[in-house]
Amino acid sequence: MKSLRRVVTRVCFAASLLILQGGRIPAIGAAGSSPQPAPGSENSLAIVVNRSNPVENVTVRELRKIFLGQRSQWAHGRRIAVVMMEPGRPERVTMLREVFHMSEATYQDYLLKGLFTGDVFLSPKILASPSVVRKFVLNAPGAIGYLRASDVDNTIKVLKIDGRVPEDKDYALQVDARLAD
Amino acid sequence: MRTITQYLAKLKAQTVRVFPRRGFTVLLFLVFAGELGITLFVIRDLIFSDDQIQKMYDGSVLGLRQIGELQYEAQETRRSTLYALTTNDGNLQVSYADQSRAADHRVSAGIADYLAREHGPREVQTGKRLASDWEAYLKIRDDVLGHILESSAKEAVDLDLAMGVPLFDRVREDLEEVKRLYDERASQQLRVAARSSRRSVITLIGALAVTLLLGSIAIWAIQRNKMKSELQLARMQMDFVASVSHELRTPITAIMSAGENVRDGLVESPGALSEQGSIIAEQAGQLMDLVDQVLLFAATTRGIEYHNPRALEVTEIVDSALRNTARTLEEAGFTVEKQIEPGLPRIMGDLPALSQCLQNLIVNAVKYTREDRWIGLSVKARRDRNAVKEIEINVQDHGVGIQHSSLPHIFEPFFRSPQAVSAQIHGTGLGLSIARRNAEAFGGKISVVSEVNVGSIFTVRLPVAAKDFEVTPVISDESVRLSK
Repeated sequence: MKSLRRVVTRVCFAASLLILQGGRIPAIGAAGSSPQPAPGSENSLAIVVNRSNPVENVTVRELRKIFLGQRSQWAHGRRIAVVMMEPGRPERVTMLREVFHMSEATYQDYLLKGLFTGDVFLSPKILASPSVVRKFVLNAPGAIGYLRASDVDNTIKVLKIDGRVPEDKDYALQVDARLAD
Repeated sequence: MRTITQYLAKLKAQTVRVFPRRGFTVLLFLVFAGELGITLFVIRDLIFSDDQIQKMYDGSVLGLRQIGELQYEAQETRRSTLYALTTNDGNLQVSYADQSRAADHRVSAGIADYLAREHGPREVQTGKRLASDWEAYLKIRDDVLGHILESSAKEAVDLDLAMGVPLFDRVREDLEEVKRLYDERASQQLRVAARSSRRSVITLIGALAVTLLLGSIAIWAIQRNKMKSELQLARMQMDFVASVSHELRTPITAIMSAGENVRDGLVESPGALSEQGSIIAEQAGQLMDLVDQVLLFAATTRGIEYHNPRALEVTEIVDSALRNTARTLEEAGFTVEKQIEPGLPRIMGDLPALSQCLQNLIVNAVKYTREDRWIGLSVKARRDRNAVKEIEINVQDHGVGIQHSSLPHIFEPFFRSPQAVSAQIHGTGLGLSIARRNAEAFGGKISVVSEVNVGSIFTVRLPVAAKDFEVTPVISDESVRLSK
């Protein structure tokens, strides 16, 4: 019954879009598309930055360097502030698996060692919930974090990963449905 | 000098006519009316003061409170931002950032509200400066907050000291300036209210003092007038009693003499007996007239319920009056010149009463004329926009006239002019009083114009009966002469 209601809601939403845009259905994942998650993309993991950040696209490789603290500044000179969610959160698990290629224990070990040796320039901010992440990124021009696509709003900016947005079918970062709440 | 004296006498007569005996009552009424007016004026002042105080509260006191709240919220914005410096916990820092933003929204809304509410040039200028300074501070605050969240504490502190503190000081000064403006306005409104209250108190005290004074004068004057009137009435009644006694004694003496002559056999011839009988009859007739006049006066004082009003032709009244006075006029050798405008509408009244009114005027004309034994009796219509509203009856004589000093009193009961008394002209002082009461009983008016040694014109105006209230043509006069 619940899934039926969800299907009806989505059909209504699609019909509204069709009416509003004069019958032209935008190509899913096309450049300049809305940051709102498209049907089926709500489990995509969006990489978010402050709206004042001029960066639009990063590679997974760059993303890894940034999140692992191997870069301290953005290209435009602003200090990077990495935002991580608390251990155990599905989004964090996805980041560790898909970007860091590490387990939680390995990551903790890496951080301790890196901060001690100076290989890691900054320690990440650990935040409790998606809304706090959103507010942090909103307030800090150099912040970068991650959120499920369904938690993103227009106060922050979503970066493309290797030229793809979370709505794209071949978008790299997907939260494991089994871990999802 | 004589002209001035005459003018003053005329003025006095007019004043007495306007406020007959009740002048000081009218004065008392006017004093209270004035007092009422002043009270309303004072109430208006008090309402104005109250309004000023209310405005002061709404505009200044509430405004000051709001500015106080703005000062607190502005401090809260800065305080919350700086609290974020005291921790490395990102969750707490976000919470402080939230608090700072909530406070800054309240300040921005307060400034917008101030700008929407205030329209004075200084207020608008200060409000715009405050909005601009606050906007500039918020930009720096955002940067400082960003640095704190990015763990760049040094940059945050440096930026705050270099730009945040001076900008925040400017905001504080702007808020102080707004407070000062509110203070100035409150003081000004308080001064206006105090001035208004002071004026009200002074006006009230002055009005009460004047009222007390004028009221006392009026009450004293009323009492004095009343006492004087009562004394005058008593004197007139005494004069009346003396006059009536004298008037009664004259015919009674004549009747007694004639009776004694017949009883004592002094009258022998039939002719002499007839003469004595005529004397008795004539004197008894005079006695009867006198008693009738006294009874008539008593009746008129009791109002009009004894009258039987109906629509009357004016000629009926004039003819009745002339018929009833024909013998007097003939015996005195008077000529009556009658001019009656034809086609006059009827009037509403009681024939005997109105006839009596005219008779009294005719008899007075006879009584107070010495040489030129002529009476003019004219009747004409008084028109207003071609419609006849009143009938005017004039009784004119070429008699001795009435002194100016006596004119205001001649219609008062029992009044007899000093000239008439000294000239030993007999009378009761009731004739004109009866004439006036009879005219007024039917909505009419009686007036007189007189000059000593020239003559008098008594005018009776009577309203036209309602159904005869119509336009009538003017037709040339007709003259009728009655002679001995």
